[in-house]
Amino acid sequence: MATSFKQIEQNLKNEARALLESGRVALVLAYTRGYDDRHPLPYTAKCASDADNIIFNEYCNANLARYLVRHPRGTKIAIAVKPADSRAVVVLIQEEKVHRDDLIILGIPVLGMKNHKTDEIIDSRTTGGLYNPVLCDILLGEEITGEPIVSPYDVLAPYEAMDKEERWAFWKKELERCIRCYACRKACPMCYCDPCFIDLDKPRWGEKAPGPGGNLMYHLTRFHHLAGRCIDCGECYRACPVDIPLHLFHKKVAKECEEMFGLAAGMSIDEKPALVDFRMDDSDAILE
Amino acid sequence: MLKKISVDKISDLAARLMDKGTLVAPVREDAGHNFRKITDAGQVDLGYYNTLMSPKSVFLPQKEDFVTYIAGRPLEEAKCIELNPEPTFLFGVRPCDVRSFEIMDIHFIGTGAVDPYWSRRREATTIFGYAFDLNRPAEPTDFYTALGIGAADPEGSDVFMILKGDELLLKAFTAKGEKILSQMDILSESGADDASYFDQTVADGRSFKTRFINIDAQAVAKKFEELFHNAQFWEKVSDGCLSCGVCTFVCPTCYCFDICDENLFGGGTRRRVWDACMFTDFTLEASGHNPRTKVYQRLRQKICHKYSYHIRKYGPISCVGCGRCTRSCPVNIDIFSIVDEALRA
Repeated sequence: MATSFKQIEQNLKNEARALLESGRVALVLAYTRGYDDRHPLPYTAKCASDADNIIFNEYCNANLARYLVRHPRGTKIAIAVKPADSRAVVVLIQEEKVHRDDLIILGIPVLGMKNHKTDEIIDSRTTGGLYNPVLCDILLGEEITGEPIVSPYDVLAPYEAMDKEERWAFWKKELERCIRCYACRKACPMCYCDPCFIDLDKPRWGEKAPGPGGNLMYHLTRFHHLAGRCIDCGECYRACPVDIPLHLFHKKVAKECEEMFGLAAGMSIDEKPALVDFRMDDSDAILE
Repeated sequence: MLKKISVDKISDLAARLMDKGTLVAPVREDAGHNFRKITDAGQVDLGYYNTLMSPKSVFLPQKEDFVTYIAGRPLEEAKCIELNPEPTFLFGVRPCDVRSFEIMDIHFIGTGAVDPYWSRRREATTIFGYAFDLNRPAEPTDFYTALGIGAADPEGSDVFMILKGDELLLKAFTAKGEKILSQMDILSESGADDASYFDQTVADGRSFKTRFINIDAQAVAKKFEELFHNAQFWEKVSDGCLSCGVCTFVCPTCYCFDICDENLFGGGTRRRVWDACMFTDFTLEASGHNPRTKVYQRLRQKICHKYSYHIRKYGPISCVGCGRCTRSCPVNIDIFSIVDEALRA
């Protein structure tokens, strides 16, 4: 039986208050009410009384792992994570952007999360097929069991049915619509480069103005920077104001990574990430 | 002059306008409606609430090429790109967006440093404003009435359009508007009840409900001046801000741009490209110093520009309450809530 959103919210408030009161953490990354219930805001609680402002409901889709790198190293942080978000935290720990000892991970098992525009249930589609966080210190609700396991890659079927030329045409068409607002990289928990290559002047990697060349340069480079690192939270797609299905490329690469190396990013803190691991029996399929 | 046409004949009207010049109108796209140059009259789609991107790009395209050149060649060989806009009909602009053109005119014409690109396009364009549907509630993001704009205000439009059942009423408000309407023989004459319906709708639009608080320009400007150094306030309201540029790109009154030379393999173009104060490198100086390194400093700039500096320098608030920034924000930052919070601080 899944814990209700109201109960999770209460648990989150209680844990946040206790952690801030005891001084175990300096801040808690959670959600607060936005301009209405369907539009919650990411929120940083900094003192015990801030805990009262915390909410959690089916529209709290933002991946809070995005905000971890904003704080100076060594800041003690408690973070509320849904399944995919927990994978992002794992990758950030592996990449030494945050220290495991500085974090208290408040896990949220999710059932019934919704898209705020369409109200459709998005469970397991934006959580990498998971219902429970892969890593946490405190679980804020009953672990979810018995739900149908949906492969995070099912959504790829129409894309995979395309041949090489069709895929090239597909991406050219989709990426042409990009307005270069950079919401995708800013929403992505794995995009923490400062500066991002596309902002550099010397050398200039791609045109600043939207156009076929610069857009391809930006997105294809970003796609490849996330190979083996994307944790499938879907934030890039959700953040995109023109609905470019960026997640499809990331999923495809993640699937190939899993097939070739048996590794999915951020699933286990003890496993070496695909890009830093080498085994004699590694697949050579990538070279074919 | 008040005329009318059956809504199912919109594509015929579009075709006639295309005979007279360029037609820019809302088109249904994957993520929502957008203003596009119409190539097939059937594309015009009036089934929208408001467009995803504002219509500012009709006058200030995201990318505007000025000069092309070949690196290393003499200056005389560089070519200026000529701009001779043909008559353009901008069809279906909501009243709040029409108001944005007047605000933008201050910067591109009114200050005396006339931008020829903006002003020539503006002169060549006839604006067909389009009232919001008063039978449909406003989106929860909108607050144009709080900025003194009615849902059916014809001010600023050359022709203003109001939907009446399955008919579209079109009324000319300027000489430009009179001219084009008189050339459209596809339009029928209106009756007396059409005229009263038109006037009644304009009046009803003034009491139409969107989000509302009393926003006095001078008072809000002063409030934000007082709050400028209150880092706690700004950190609080910018807490979730990702510092991407969506809000500025969809905004009808954001006009910041960068002029850059983009050259590849020796061939170059000097062009104007939209920029955004929300980007980290917007204020990056040649020395490497950046006066706005923090997210709150950038969001403060955006809000204070619209609701404080702009008022002090030019008079009006540089926001029309269209709600686009809030609708497009990936983390639901809401400018109305920030202004509200500031006024109550």
